[in-house]
Amino acid sequence: MVTQSNSRAKALAEGLRRGDRASIARCISMAEDRPEEFSELISGIYDPKKMPRVIGVTGPPGCGKSTLISQIAPLLSASGHRLGIIAIDASSPFTGGSFLGNRIRMEGTISSGDIFMRSIATRGTKGGLTASIMGALITLSCAGFDLVIVESVGAGQADVDILDISSTVLLVLAPGLGDEIQAMKAGTMEIADIFVVNKADLPGADQSKRAIMAYLSTMQGRTPKKLASTSCTTKGGIKELVGLIKEHEDQVDTGPFIERAFKTEVNRIAKEILSKRVDELSGNESGNLSSMLKSGIDPYSAAVKLLGRAKRL
Amino acid sequence: MANGKNPKSSDRPIRVLLAKPAIDGHDRGVYVLARAFRDAGMEVIYPGLLPTPEEIIRIAIDEDVDVIAISLLNGSHVTIFKKVMELLKKNRVQGIAVVGGGIIPDADKPRLEKMGVSGNYGPGTPMSEIIAHIRKRAGEARSKRW
Repeated sequence: MVTQSNSRAKALAEGLRRGDRASIARCISMAEDRPEEFSELISGIYDPKKMPRVIGVTGPPGCGKSTLISQIAPLLSASGHRLGIIAIDASSPFTGGSFLGNRIRMEGTISSGDIFMRSIATRGTKGGLTASIMGALITLSCAGFDLVIVESVGAGQADVDILDISSTVLLVLAPGLGDEIQAMKAGTMEIADIFVVNKADLPGADQSKRAIMAYLSTMQGRTPKKLASTSCTTKGGIKELVGLIKEHEDQVDTGPFIERAFKTEVNRIAKEILSKRVDELSGNESGNLSSMLKSGIDPYSAAVKLLGRAKRL
Repeated sequence: MANGKNPKSSDRPIRVLLAKPAIDGHDRGVYVLARAFRDAGMEVIYPGLLPTPEEIIRIAIDEDVDVIAISLLNGSHVTIFKKVMELLKKNRVQGIAVVGGGIIPDADKPRLEKMGVSGNYGPGTPMSEIIAHIRKRAGEARSKRW
């Protein structure tokens, strides 16, 4: 079995370097479905220097994230980037099923085949991203993609994980979502590099822009935030938004974002391994907890003791 | 995996590409299917109306789906399903099952089956029958892929 999965890992890595789409797709599936098998592959394909820049696109459901991406993607691709898109949609907490519908908005502009696009379901991960996102980015980096747009699942105020992996964060909003009081609230409003008032052809767009401008004027961050207003119906403001993204990418210091992404991923994987190990050690089959119960030890000390054993992986 | 801790491939949701690969704008039925597949625990990719057979193949590869479920109500199923199957072969795609449906006369079904498009369900088919068939074909497809 070891040799079989090793040779498969090798074949996949070779496929990735050739830019073979089926290999890219299979590797992303592996990151999603078979993390342990992916872990054998990852040491051969990971290169921190090659990690792509990530444009993180977040915002509430229905504000037009997918449609906006369909408009900016061809422009970014045409400016010399090898562009990937990862679009995340929610999995059902009841059935595990998911309706991945981002392509409905994007197909028209990405069908030339230069852009690799993949839909990923959250599969229980909260925070706006998926457990497999770094695996997917590493896969794309190995296949030569230098820029990836990641669309978060339709986000709420506290879904800020996109910040961990993005060199530029776009927060997409639409008219009518709230006044300047909403703009004052903590969470997603704080993580954006570029605020986008989308659907700017609709009434109320000016009020939304004013509310965000008022909010921005009170901020004291070092990097100035930017505001764009776009309409995918009239195509207004799209070029300007792409200009702002490029400007931000030119200015941004990628050090902190690479560090954040690395640390978050190591933390996630370590927790995953530990959690599995704790499950094994505390399972009925192991008999550990039964013998602890008989010994009269208190639950806290028992947990610490169990963790001591978990260290031996 | 050597240590046997690997999740079984059956733990992973079935990924289905649902598509109407020709000039056919009747999407009501496809939405009903999408919802039913989702509620059956599948990950459903729907790329919108009017994809070409070429686009379907590209999407199926990029999304690493187990099953392509194609539906046509416009009478062009023999021509178009055939084109999809030819392109799969041409692109040397292995381990993706193709399931059909729509307004398909009984007389056409053996031909479709022969080219590898199974199911070919018409209106009134119980959803449970379609879902069971997709599960079966997805299982077969996966064992070829992994």
